[in-house]
Amino acid sequence: METTFREESADPRTQSVPLSHLSLELGHLYMEDFAAGAGRLREQFTRVKPWADAARLSVAGAAGARRPRVSTCFLVDDYFTRFSSPAELVPMLLAEAEACGLTIDYLARESGCATADGVEPASLVEGRLVESPPVGSNGSRPAVREIGWLCNGERSPAAGGGEAMSGATAWAAPAETGARRHSVFMDVELWDDGDRGRTWSCPFLAAVWQLLRLGLLRREGRPVLQAVPWGGERGAFPRSWDDLPPLVQLNPSAAPFAAYGTFSVLPSRFLPVEHAVRLVLGQVALEEAVLRQTAERADREGFAVPPAVTDRAAYAFYAEP
Amino acid sequence: MTGGAGEGPQAFVCGEVRTCLLQTSASLPRAEAVRLLQLRSDEAVRFSERPNMYAVSPEVLTGVDCALPAATGSRVRAVGTVRARAVLTEGRVLQATARLSSPVSGADRRLPWGHYLVRPGVVQPLGRLSVPDVAAGFLGARPAGPDRHAAATVDLGAIAERLLARVLGQPLLDRRAPFKSRRTRLRWFAVHAADGQGPPAAEFTVAADGLRTLWISAAGLDAAEIAGFCEELALHDWLLTTLIRMVDRSRLGSTAGPEAVLALRPAVDHLLHLWMPGARTGARLAPLWDGLERHPGFTRQWQTLVQRIRDQLALQAIPFRCEA
Repeated sequence: METTFREESADPRTQSVPLSHLSLELGHLYMEDFAAGAGRLREQFTRVKPWADAARLSVAGAAGARRPRVSTCFLVDDYFTRFSSPAELVPMLLAEAEACGLTIDYLARESGCATADGVEPASLVEGRLVESPPVGSNGSRPAVREIGWLCNGERSPAAGGGEAMSGATAWAAPAETGARRHSVFMDVELWDDGDRGRTWSCPFLAAVWQLLRLGLLRREGRPVLQAVPWGGERGAFPRSWDDLPPLVQLNPSAAPFAAYGTFSVLPSRFLPVEHAVRLVLGQVALEEAVLRQTAERADREGFAVPPAVTDRAAYAFYAEP
Repeated sequence: MTGGAGEGPQAFVCGEVRTCLLQTSASLPRAEAVRLLQLRSDEAVRFSERPNMYAVSPEVLTGVDCALPAATGSRVRAVGTVRARAVLTEGRVLQATARLSSPVSGADRRLPWGHYLVRPGVVQPLGRLSVPDVAAGFLGARPAGPDRHAAATVDLGAIAERLLARVLGQPLLDRRAPFKSRRTRLRWFAVHAADGQGPPAAEFTVAADGLRTLWISAAGLDAAEIAGFCEELALHDWLLTTLIRMVDRSRLGSTAGPEAVLALRPAVDHLLHLWMPGARTGARLAPLWDGLERHPGFTRQWQTLVQRIRDQLALQAIPFRCEA
């Protein structure tokens, strides 16, 4: 006879989340955009619309005979600067989007990438960073994540800090790992620590935002950042951002928030930020069980999902007037 | 199979375990053990109470791109991630293990990092390697002191040591160990044996400088299972080593009276109940324990030492009873 013995806390389980085919981001809103007035929003949505349509068409082709599930989202910065209020901003945002033929299914607050429902998605991602090792890394050097910077290669030794103590160090160029002959070296600041605690950088929160949209984050096996429906019966939007859940579902018939892939339509000035996002995404080791779940589900649906997480995020950058 | 991800089977798994006494006056209860090993906020510490208290930290990955050790001096570059974890037994003995597994061949150039990230704990050679050569290089004695060759090859010991330091550096611990003990190092290498080659085989060596090496050959190489076995072996080897040293220091047999008993008291308080060889070894690797019990006979030696300690305690108790 074979006996099995299992202890619940010794054997974790990972929950899955519902997934759309595509998470389509219609924009980020920062204070400067808001300050420029409703006209700026209208202008942005007008530019976003053709790309949003193209993304829908493209995913419809990839989803085959199935009806494509596409959810749209919009991110408002309430982390770096606080401006306006949900009561004032959200109705205007929805009206401008609608006037341009766009529907915003989900609205997220950027601070939700730092803290949401008692969970800290950003610190959770930080704990999963595994730096791409420069050639010659044998495990004996401590991780440089303590310094809060992440790069895509080997830093210039003169700028490296610690080793300079051993004597005069000749300057050498930094090198991108896996560069095609010439390097495009990038060093991204992930956070800084001040008197009032840690402030995550915009690119790092943007990387967390991508991972949330890809449905790849869990805390002790449970999903992070669940959408809270905000229908007519909930009444007006609150006067303070803190009273709005980090992620609200504005369209009751929307497809699931998280998706196999993301597509973000952004002004060109976000290009450096999103380059940094790719660098971060390329160095996050996600939970095996979550990746496996997603891959198996996509397989059953006959939908192709790239194995590398970086390749699941696509963009259109448009020029601003 | 770990991290196979649809590719060829792993040809070998190797690792290094460092074992030490937790630097705290009393053994840690469950809640504190969990806090100690909470290396990441998203993954719970795994905890088990049967047959003994056993807590396992979430795994930590470290990227490497360097040569693998080789006895012949051939230098095969390999890229991938090393996985490390910390384990606390009965809130008293702390272990850190760093390990990697590798197929016999891989792409001839380094691939994008994402390729390696989805294979945690797998290091892939650029080109082809010789498993016996790497095994001999990995388990072979290395010269003491700085050695340029050793520094350039993958250093699992350094990764394990750093993890130990990270755990031991927490303010949760009062740093008042109840007795003196030394850290032990076990370096292990497991090769994949073809099916039908009989039960798994092992070769355990205790080197003079405190390094233990273990070579294993097992069919159906399960990296997690083998790593668990090696941790268990390292734990018992540490217990035995520590008890031998304690009995030695107590001058049992040459010192009369309560001194020897006082010196041995920490063993009774903190060590004797930890002996449980094979408690967490699965059925497939159980024959390895049986072999090690026959030779060198861990439990035989442990029992003898424990009996000596108990006898001594009993002897010391008699006069008091007579006086009463």
